[in-house]
This record gives sequence, structure tokens and C-alpha cells, in this order.
Amino acid sequence: MMNLIIRNAKVIDIHSPHHNKTADILIKNGRIEQIAKNIQVPLNIKECKSKNTHISPGWIDMQAKFCDPGFEYKEDLETGLHAAARGGFTAVAILPDTLPVCDNKSGVDYLIKNAKENAVDILPIGALSAGMKGENISEMYDMHLAGAAAFCDAKKSTNAGLLMRAMLYAKPFGSLIMDFPLCKEVATTGNVNEGKTSTLLGLKGIPSVAEDIIVNRDIYLAEYCESPLHFMQISSVHALQMIKIAKSKSLPISCGLSTYHLLLTDEELKTFDSYYKVQPPLKTQKEIKAFIKAIKENIIDVLVSDHEPQHIENKKCEFDLAAYGIINLQTSFAIANTILRNEISVQQLVDLFCFNPRKILKQPIPCIKEGEEANLTVFDTNENWIFSENDIVSKSKNTPFIGQSFTGKVLGIYNKKQWIEN
Amino acid sequence: MNKLSVNHLLGIKDLIKDDIELIFNTADNFKEIINRPIKKVPSLRDITICNLFFENSTRTKLSFELAEKRLSADIINFSSSSSSVSKGETLIDTVNNILSMKVDMLVMRHPNAGAAAFLSRNVNATIINAGDGAHEHPTQALLDAYSIREKLGTLKDKNILIVGDILHSRVALSNIFCLQKLGANVKVCGPSTLLPKYISSLQVETETDLNKALQWCDVAMMLRIQLERQQIKYFPSLREYSMLYGLTLQKVNKLNKEILIMHPGPINRGVEITSDVADSKHSIILNQVENGVAIRMAVLYLLAGKTKPTATL
Repeated sequence: MMNLIIRNAKVIDIHSPHHNKTADILIKNGRIEQIAKNIQVPLNIKECKSKNTHISPGWIDMQAKFCDPGFEYKEDLETGLHAAARGGFTAVAILPDTLPVCDNKSGVDYLIKNAKENAVDILPIGALSAGMKGENISEMYDMHLAGAAAFCDAKKSTNAGLLMRAMLYAKPFGSLIMDFPLCKEVATTGNVNEGKTSTLLGLKGIPSVAEDIIVNRDIYLAEYCESPLHFMQISSVHALQMIKIAKSKSLPISCGLSTYHLLLTDEELKTFDSYYKVQPPLKTQKEIKAFIKAIKENIIDVLVSDHEPQHIENKKCEFDLAAYGIINLQTSFAIANTILRNEISVQQLVDLFCFNPRKILKQPIPCIKEGEEANLTVFDTNENWIFSENDIVSKSKNTPFIGQSFTGKVLGIYNKKQWIEN
Repeated sequence: MNKLSVNHLLGIKDLIKDDIELIFNTADNFKEIINRPIKKVPSLRDITICNLFFENSTRTKLSFELAEKRLSADIINFSSSSSSVSKGETLIDTVNNILSMKVDMLVMRHPNAGAAAFLSRNVNATIINAGDGAHEHPTQALLDAYSIREKLGTLKDKNILIVGDILHSRVALSNIFCLQKLGANVKVCGPSTLLPKYISSLQVETETDLNKALQWCDVAMMLRIQLERQQIKYFPSLREYSMLYGLTLQKVNKLNKEILIMHPGPINRGVEITSDVADSKHSIILNQVENGVAIRMAVLYLLAGKTKPTATL
């Protein structure tokens, strides 16, 4: 049972009486015992101290893959959860495309039970269709009772009829339906953004319209079903404009953006480096500007890591044959803070990592006040650091960020009576 | 300048104008040599080259093989119609196995864009890209530009038209880079479904009317319709393609000027070009083939000279 004193931390929690105030926070037996200036504690108590410490309720990553069961050589629950903890997350929503697919109660049970003792909770996302085959809706109610936090077919865009049935079916028990917007018929075999870079490289590009038409379609479906819908990752300017209009009409639409899309552009692909092969593909500076604007206007609700471990053999090969994805749980906050620190407030950043995903997934919102159970993330928004290979705790090392300088670092998380220091 | 600025020939994109000039000047010498009664020189003696073809090829492979033989290199050939991955062996493993047999240079054709660049970063050998997916086919572009230079004296300010499936064509892309580096203007023509949407970002103009485009050009480069590379239909039929974009003698005769007509081969006679045009005085198709050997000899010679400076002409 870890007792902890966090020194001089600025509390970022609008529900707390200590919001925006700087104080010491003493945690004993898993509860916040005291929040005050200069708390005196015995020497043997663990201390967390940094120059520009902030504290907020525990963050949630809404989109990661732990590859367990089925692909444990890439990642397993233990290493994935460790990466999440080091990245500042006290809960992670896991995509269902494991082997077998998480499309039933026992799949959900497996994830929840195995994370029970861990400082980080798993929020399983159940498959929307049985076997993720895109045909019939899965046993969503049973999975919901077992603890599934939402439903989607991972990064397989759902056909219109199935998506409509899923939204209608899940509505009475309030489960969230998510979609990955990509029109397969338009994207065909494309694997990078269609633009100057794809033209230069002779790679098949995916036009942004492949995302736009699905977003447009899905908004109409959500309006018809009067049901919430979450777009897992948005990467197109037009799609953001449509979501903005939908939100202005108070339609229950939300969307996510992967943090690496704030930092990387498709120009990184010029050497055919498969570490930059991601889905949706990397875009251009024009989109990055639009993403930042959309974050400021609250059109983008959540930032996700889109953590996708891949074995070296799936990356060290010809670009077309390489698998998608980068590991990003440990770097997600650092990227966001580095890019957004002069654009939005720390409060807004915490909204994107904590409050918004909690609201969208209907998860309890912990509070930083005395007597509350401690479920919190501690971070420094000014610390400069360089991500190195030794920092990686995932089984896979498919990240383009080794050697990258960041501003802003997670100091640790406290949850379920455990302190995991970064 | 007597050395290339690059250690591999992965694409024209990586070359500077001086590299291209050097290759052309070296090719001039080799062209003279291959027209002698004794066509062989000892330049690449003791150099072993593997022709690694993961995709079908007839003329490029023959042309490289002949160029290598004329330079006295030792040659081994590896052909596989499918990618090595489908057999369970990675490309790097396949190549490292070959290199363990003391091979110095690799000429590789591969169905995936970037395969040559990927290989160059992961194995210890000189790589010549003989075509990688829809990316580049640098020796084809070099021989095309060389052939134009031979006929017109210079590429500078010449209007070169490329007609056909630009979307899937590595020949078009390499030619765009090569011709532009040499000062030519490039326009592409074909059905809109086969023109990359962002081709204008490469300072290339597009035209969908072949007759208008022909009026503009000094050279028309007709590309082969590569049905095997198209997973979906981009035009309804070869008949209709030919109606719109096939080069006929009637279209050529309507022009009140002489133009050069080129084709990288193999020709689909009656589709992108009719026989009477392909065999006409305007056509330099067979010159291209002949120059291909000289250009490939020049490239092999110059790259071998970077790693084994003893190679002499």
C-alpha cells in the first residue's frame, strides 16, 4: 500500500475546491488524506517532486491495442498496461481485434479480470459485429453487462445498415458506438495520404474524401437513430467541418484525434520508412493547423494514442507489406503538450485526456479532494526530455520517436493504491 | 565531374543534373563500343552482379544482362514471380543469402514502391533499381532522355508529352524527374482516372485531349496500358481507350510538324499506338532499346567505380 506526498502540485480539476491552486497532496492507503501547503510527513514517505508539477484526475486513453489474446509476441496485458501507466493513463480502452476477436462476454471478462490487480484499468471495447465480420451485431448487451465500455469493429469501417442497427440496439442500455470512418471503395489499396508525397513516391494514396463521405453518412445515421456516435480518429479538414456543423445542431457526435497526427506529416515517408505507416495515414501541415484549430474550438473531443504494437518483422519489410501502427502510449501526452502548450490551457489539455473521454465513455470522474479515492495523473508541463529506446516498456519498439525531444512529461499515476512512477 | 553523387541508383529523384550528364557522356563511349566488331570490354571483370527480378520482365532484364556481359561482369539471375514474403522468406534474408556468395551489385525489380530504397538501407551492396512498383524506373528514364538528346541535340525547353496510364507508371514518374532536371517541359495526357490528382504538384501539366496535347509537344512518349497493374477498371474497354488515346497515323499526320514518337515497350499494337505509327519514321522505339544497353553499361560502370575503383574503361 503506497503512501505518497506530491509536492507543490497545481490541481487541474474543475470539480475540486482546489482547482488551479498549488499545494501538497498527501495520499494514504489509496485515499487523498490532505491537500495543503507544506504538509509535514515522516521521512520514509515516498515523495513526488518536480519544478512545474500538475495533478489531475486519472487520464483515459480511448484507443489502444494490447494484442492479447492472440498476438502476445507484440504486446500483452502486462506490458501494455505498464506502457499506459508510464504514459499517465489510469485506464485504457482496448480495441477488439484480438485473436479471438473480443465479441462476447468471456472476451470482455478476460480483459477485466486480468487487469483487476493492475494500477491501470482496462475498458474493453467489444466488437460491434460478431467476429468483426461486418454482418450481424454481436451480443452487445451481454458484453455491456460484463463491462464493455463501447463497441466498434476496430479500424474496419462499419457498413451503413449494420451501424444503424447497432446504434438502435445499443441505445436502451446506453452503450457507445464508435466508427472508424474510411470508405473502402474509395480508398481501395491506398496506404498513404493522397497528395504530393504519394505522387512523388508512386504510392497509392487515400483521398481525404474516403473519410469525409463516411463521416457525412454516419452523422445522418446518428441523427436518424438519435443515438450518440463517436468517430475514433478524424484526419480530414472537411470531416472536421461536418462534425462542427453536427455539434452546432447539438447532435450527439464526438471524435478523436491521434496525437502523432499533430506532430508528423506525410513528408516523413520520403524514405519509405514504414515506422511512419499509420492508419489513418499521416497528413500535411495544412491538416495539422486544422487539427489545432478544431481542438481550440472543442470540435475534437479526445486525444488518443492509437497505440499499435508491431513486431519488427512486420515493419522491417517493403513499405506496401509493412503493418500499420506505432506504439504511442508513452509519448502521447508529450507530443500533445509539445505541440499544444502555446495553443491551449493545461485545463483544456486535461479535458482532452481525462474529462472528455470519461464523459464519452460514461466512466466515473474521480475528484482531487480530501477523502476521495486517489485516481490521478501527475505531470510536468515544462520538463524537456528526450525519448530513448531504454524508455520503452512495450514488447514492440515500433516508434519513430526515439531521439525525439519533448516538452512535458508524465511524472506518474496513482490508482488502486499503487503509485507508478515514470 | 567523373563520379556520381550517389552510391546506388534508386531513382532519378536522387540524381543531380551533373550525374545525368555524366551517365550520358559515359554512355556515348559505350554506344561506340557496342557498335564495334568486338563489343566486350573488361571494365567489370571480377565484379559479380545479381539480377534480382521479383516481377516479370523481358527487355529490361535482357538489356541489363547484356550490359553486364559486355562489361565482363560475372552474372547470376534470380527470378520469382511472387514476392519472397509469400514463400516465408523476407526480402532482406533472400538478398543476404545471395550476397553471402560474394555478390557486389544488385539489379532489382520489385512490385512494391520503395523496395530498392529499403534494401539499400539494410544490405551491404550497390543497388540499381530496375523498377519498384509505381515509383521509379530510372534506367528507362535515362535511356529515354538520352534517346531524345541524341535526336534533338538537347532536352532544354523541349515539350515532352507522356500519354497513358500515369497513375500506375514508374516510367512516367522517372521520366518526369529526369526530363525536368534536363530543362524540358512535361505534360501528361490520359483518361482522368489514370492521372494522379496531385501531379500538378510536380510542375506537370495535364491534358485529357490527345489531339491538343500532340499539337503542343515535340516528343510523344506513349506508355503501355498495364492491365496487370490495375486491380480495378479505370476505363471501360481497350477499344474505347484506343479511340481516345491511341496514337494513329491520322492523328500524327494532322500535325503540321515533325514529332518524335517513343514507347518503353512492350507495345500493345493497336491499343496505345497503331502499327503504322510504331513502324514509321517518327518512331525511335528501337533506338531506345539500343540505347538502353549503353545507358545500363554506363550506370553499372559508374557505380562499380565508386566501390571498386580499379574498374577501368
